[in-house]
Amino acid sequence: MTHPRRTLPVLAAVLACTLAAFAVRVGTQAPNFTGTDTHGQTHTLSQYHGQYVVLEWTNNGCPFTRKHYESGNMQALQKKWTSRGVIWLTILSSAPGQQGYMTASDENAYMAREHAAPTAAILDPTGAIGHLYDAKTTPDMVVIDPNGKVIYEGAIDDHPTTDPADIPHSKNYVDAALSEAMDGQPIAVAYTRSYGCSVKYAGAE
Amino acid sequence: MIAEPQMRARLRTPLFSSLLLAVVCAALCAASASAQSDAHATASAQHLTVSLLVPPRQLYPGQTFTAGLDFRLEPHWHVYWTNAGDSGEPPTIDWKLPPSITAGPMQFPAPARLPLGPLMDFGYENEVVFPIPIQVASDFHSARNPAVLSAHVGWLVCSAVCIPGKADLSLTRPALNAAPAAPSIDADAQSLIARFQNKLPQPLPAADSATFSTTPQGFVLDLRTNSSPSSAQFFPLDSTVVANAAPQPAHPLRNGIQLALTKDENIQGKPHQLNGVLELPSGAAYLIHATLTTAAGAPSLSLPLRQGGLAASALLAFLGGILLNLMPCVFPVLFIKGLALVQSSQQERHRLRAHGWVYTLGILISFWIVVAVLLILRAAGRQLGWGFQFQSPIFLALMAMLLFFLGLALAGQFEIGLSLTSAGGSLAQKHGYAGSFFTGVLAVIVATPCTAPFMGAAIGYALSHSPLVSFTVFTALALGLAIPYLLLAYFPGWARLLPKPGAWMEILKQAVAVPIFATVIWLVWVFTQVAGAAALMGLLAAFLLLAIAGWFFGRWPGRAIPRLAAAFVLIAAIVTSVWTVNTLGEPSPAQTASLVSDVTQGKIAPSAWQPFTPAALADARTHGHAVFVDFTASWCLSCQVNERLILDRADVERKLHDSGVTLLRADWTNQDPDITRALAALGRSGVPTYAIYPADPSAPPQVLPTVLTPGIVLDALKSLPQQNTASNPPSSTP
Repeated sequence: MTHPRRTLPVLAAVLACTLAAFAVRVGTQAPNFTGTDTHGQTHTLSQYHGQYVVLEWTNNGCPFTRKHYESGNMQALQKKWTSRGVIWLTILSSAPGQQGYMTASDENAYMAREHAAPTAAILDPTGAIGHLYDAKTTPDMVVIDPNGKVIYEGAIDDHPTTDPADIPHSKNYVDAALSEAMDGQPIAVAYTRSYGCSVKYAGAE
Repeated sequence: MIAEPQMRARLRTPLFSSLLLAVVCAALCAASASAQSDAHATASAQHLTVSLLVPPRQLYPGQTFTAGLDFRLEPHWHVYWTNAGDSGEPPTIDWKLPPSITAGPMQFPAPARLPLGPLMDFGYENEVVFPIPIQVASDFHSARNPAVLSAHVGWLVCSAVCIPGKADLSLTRPALNAAPAAPSIDADAQSLIARFQNKLPQPLPAADSATFSTTPQGFVLDLRTNSSPSSAQFFPLDSTVVANAAPQPAHPLRNGIQLALTKDENIQGKPHQLNGVLELPSGAAYLIHATLTTAAGAPSLSLPLRQGGLAASALLAFLGGILLNLMPCVFPVLFIKGLALVQSSQQERHRLRAHGWVYTLGILISFWIVVAVLLILRAAGRQLGWGFQFQSPIFLALMAMLLFFLGLALAGQFEIGLSLTSAGGSLAQKHGYAGSFFTGVLAVIVATPCTAPFMGAAIGYALSHSPLVSFTVFTALALGLAIPYLLLAYFPGWARLLPKPGAWMEILKQAVAVPIFATVIWLVWVFTQVAGAAALMGLLAAFLLLAIAGWFFGRWPGRAIPRLAAAFVLIAAIVTSVWTVNTLGEPSPAQTASLVSDVTQGKIAPSAWQPFTPAALADARTHGHAVFVDFTASWCLSCQVNERLILDRADVERKLHDSGVTLLRADWTNQDPDITRALAALGRSGVPTYAIYPADPSAPPQVLPTVLTPGIVLDALKSLPQQNTASNPPSSTP
């Protein structure tokens, strides 16, 4: 009894040394989360079961994010899809003291100035939601279908630049994924490398 | 500001002003050309200086040379490699060259890994020169003298924040009609470019080879060369194939090296080629296009195991299954089965074999049901891990009742064989098979708590992969559990080695009741923690009802009315326990946590263990503290053993305290999605798990073996970087 008992834990430990990344996988269930928005309202992903949900990681100091806000591209996308019943959650995962960290009132003022139109902007200064979804960059986009399945994850479009002039001839992956899903079509591009600034998580400076 | 009258004047005479501008411009251009100044070849921008380097001082037909784009960066700022990693973008260059001069693509020297918290970028700090091959065609002529080489350069420079930049760089060189006798060279520029050309990845020498094989986690990259490098780093050229931030454990070979790469979770399809740059400690970097090989050329057992391949996990699960037979919680069940075998050793051989297979089937089916339930619940989005059953008070109550009832039977209150099933001869055979089947089921049920400590890695692996993999591993585990009995059934000769049936069997059976009752005590203790003391009353009342039912069975064996009454009492017992859990039970994680810490506080002086939250973990690391996390649950016996015997030992406790490591206890007695996720991130799905997270947030956590010794803990603490360096800023600050 003792010999195998001694060797097996060693083997098990060797096996355990591999570190499996826990990332959101396209085609699987989106992990549930709860967050508080800039108006103190609580949002839980599961409460939007039955609706399309878009998650947008943002950092208003990031030139890649600014490309899409200063051009009005992001706001247009938000208005277009929220008017069709899509829940659009903008998520701020910057840690306090980092670029893109906003208090609720600052973010409200910013959204009013930019005419941003998400369903809500969720403050995630601990980065919990960001880590849960393995959000890497700003912007980083996730599209979740009414069954709670991730149907798109990655970049907002196919031009990884900071130049707003690129937007008119960019293919917007979020727009495409939502259109295809609502038409009952397969999602042509379901995963891309997101581009932008790194998400400014705590401890990442 | 231009004064208004002047402006009007200018508007009135556009021709004159244009002319003036042209003259000024021409004068400036001429001045710069005559001085051959490279002033325009350098631009200063935020956090960097960028220059165009062209070593030849003249241009002439048929000339080839290497130009360079030079970035000099402020400390901690970086620009990016061609695959920037998790964030960032590589610099771009857009040439405007005279006809007959062509520029090749920008070449990227081997980059460095630049960790940013959980992310990993690939790029360059301090200084980098991107060599660019330039060719002057033979029809180049000096008509436009001097030749102007200009380029529009764009980049993204980042440290904690990112700033895009662009510049128009240009320089001029006299154009000659033929190569001069003694070409003049800017030696400084040339040597600077050469320094970075040396860092360009080289094609793999013809004698060497690069292949890769796939594993469930990703890939094993195999480089065969004539040396034995101690380590290596792989930089993928494709951005959605390899998980950038994952560590790349290296396994040196006599004639090369193997690297374990983790795949991108969202990888689309299976790559047939791994393209990237492999950098060796010597500084040599090779551009490799590794081809897929099915024969992994596994030269040693350790790497496939570390890889946790399916075969290795299945083997591990099989061995673990065999071991489970010896566990205190399973052995009594096996013993019951063994008794049955002794009794039936006169039966014909095929009957014995059939019993063995039915028993195996019982084990298989119950394992499959547990896995199926687990997978279905997981698919529904519940955060569950192995041992999740023990987070349900009703399951705990039913388990405790089952074992208590079994204990009564073993202790001799009633006969299982006589009273629960008919004694009629015609039914004996059927009873036997059903008995074998449910012995298998029982073996699985009582084995569950024992699987966690030994099978943690294999089960964690299985649950984190496809359902097919899960079922394969659990099937191997089930077969391992079944195999000793199955072998006995096939080789009755071995069974004859068992002692002859006799009075000793009765004595032994009663003795086995003791560990069963011990298990009941443990289950009741866990139940109390999960459901609270009020619900405990209900469970104990249910025990009383069980004892009454057992008395009926034992006093009037085989009679219909007492059996019916006993059945009613049994149902009443089950209803009582379930009802009290639902009405009186108050499962509160906070209460459980305080109970557990009360228990531990008895031994540790002022408890240094704080409750685990992801925020507490991140916070401690941000403040430069390494973190030791004890993933535990009160229903996990080996967790309690490790805590009492190892972690609470005076010397270990002192060492933990002195090392300045933050101690967090993740109590998984009740469901906690945060803890389940943290376990999943470690590749585990159950407790006990012990992990040390270094202060550097980019460094991977170290998982300790599930069976701790003081040496394991102390060595792990010793291997940590010094804590006092925490005040220094992290070295490579991206």
